[in-house]
This record gives sequence, structure tokens and C-alpha cells, in this order.
Amino acid sequence: MMETRTQKQRDIFVEGAIDPSLLAESVAKHATRTDIGAHEIFLGQVRADLQPSTVIPTDHPGQRAGGEDNAQPSAVQAIEYTAYRDMALEQMTVIREEAFSRWPSMTCLHVHHSLGVVAAGQLCFMVFASAPHRRAAREAVAYVVDRIKADLPIFGKEILADSSHVWKVNRSVDTVGRPTDR
Amino acid sequence: MNVLLFGLIAEKAGAHSMVMEASSTAELRVMLASRINGLDKLSYAIAVDRQVVKDDVPLTGAEEIAVLPPFAGG
Repeated sequence: MMETRTQKQRDIFVEGAIDPSLLAESVAKHATRTDIGAHEIFLGQVRADLQPSTVIPTDHPGQRAGGEDNAQPSAVQAIEYTAYRDMALEQMTVIREEAFSRWPSMTCLHVHHSLGVVAAGQLCFMVFASAPHRRAAREAVAYVVDRIKADLPIFGKEILADSSHVWKVNRSVDTVGRPTDR
Repeated sequence: MNVLLFGLIAEKAGAHSMVMEASSTAELRVMLASRINGLDKLSYAIAVDRQVVKDDVPLTGAEEIAVLPPFAGG
């Protein structure tokens, strides 16, 4: 007999930014579950990082874009997310099963991730775990966030203020959730 | 077989999929490099039936193949 509870595939993707009111609604929905004693929440927000522009200057058409001489920084205005949807949802089901087998006391786990354009300052990612006690909820959220960043085929095009773009790459994390750099 | 392309790789290829015939993922990598300009300078993974494969694996043509640039979720 398998000990792992089989998890149904659920769609985590939402079009555009995640409305902050979703958080309040999610918390409110759990009021009837009086076995819950702790909620832990991670929210990811799009950051207006400065990135080297890839625009080719018109006054120096021979110069290479993004070269060392003309890497004028430009701020990220938005990220446009795309995903290999079928693989991402399959991987998410695996991560969900692993999280419930590692923290069997966890009552529930909700994940939302944006697709499409999300402006700087808006929310793009939410992981919400509930459990009778804080430790399981806290550890499960940290684990699930790192696994999603490492293993879900989601791609992000950072759109810069000068309308050029660069492709976002996550800092590598190993599968137990420890960052391998920084 | 229809090879799915994503993110930066789809942008470089100017398409979200390509029809190719390869008998293994190693052969597929060689063919991709000849079809997509600048691919040799990029880091990417190949997924076979929605699982990333690290080693060379044989392909029958019935699999779902995808070419994946580095992930950026979150």
C-alpha cells in the first residue's frame, strides 16, 4: 500500500497579476476548518531590477547590443510569464504529493502562479499552507516555493523601460530547498 | 515528431514548435543546433513526455518532446 496520498491535478495558473484580495478570501475560506491552528503564506512580487538594455543604439548601428560599452541599465517594468503548462501541472502534482508525505499533518496547500504580463510591484506567486501547528506549515511553504522555482517549466520575459527585454533565470536551488548561491 | 519550444528558445527559433525526426535526444540536440541560430551558446534541457532527461535516451517518435530554457517561476 502506498503511503502517499494521491493528489488530484489542479490548475495553479491565473491570467495576469494575483489580486491581493485572493489572500484574504483564501484565509476566510478556512474559518470553518477549526482543526487548523497555523497558516503560512509566501507571496512573490515582481521586482523592478535594473538590467542591461539590449537596445541597439541608432547612432552607433555597428555596436553590439548589450555590449560592455553600451550596457545602459533599464528598469524591469513587467514580467511576461509563459509555461509548459502540462508539464508544470504534472510536476506540481508530484511536489504536492511529496509535501503531504513529508508533512502529513498539513491540512491543505494552495498554489497560484501568474501567466501573461505582471507589472513591477504586483503579485505573481502565492503559496499558502495550513496545518494544526506552525512548524509543518512553515517548513512546507519553504520547501514548496523552492521546488516550484527549481522544477516547474515557467519562463519569464522581463520587459524593460526602454521596451527591450531580457529573459529571467532563477538562481539555482537544490531540491531540498537550499540556495546553491547567495 | 513535433518538438515544443519555449521562452528564449522559441524566440530564437521564431516558432513555438518544429517538426523534426531524431532517433535519440543526442541526435535531437545536434539537429536543434543546426536549425536554431545561437543555440550552442544557450543552456537548455530536453523533456521527454514531460520529464527532463539528463542522459541520451532513444526516441521512437511517439513521445512528447520539449526544449526548455532555464526556469524562471516565482
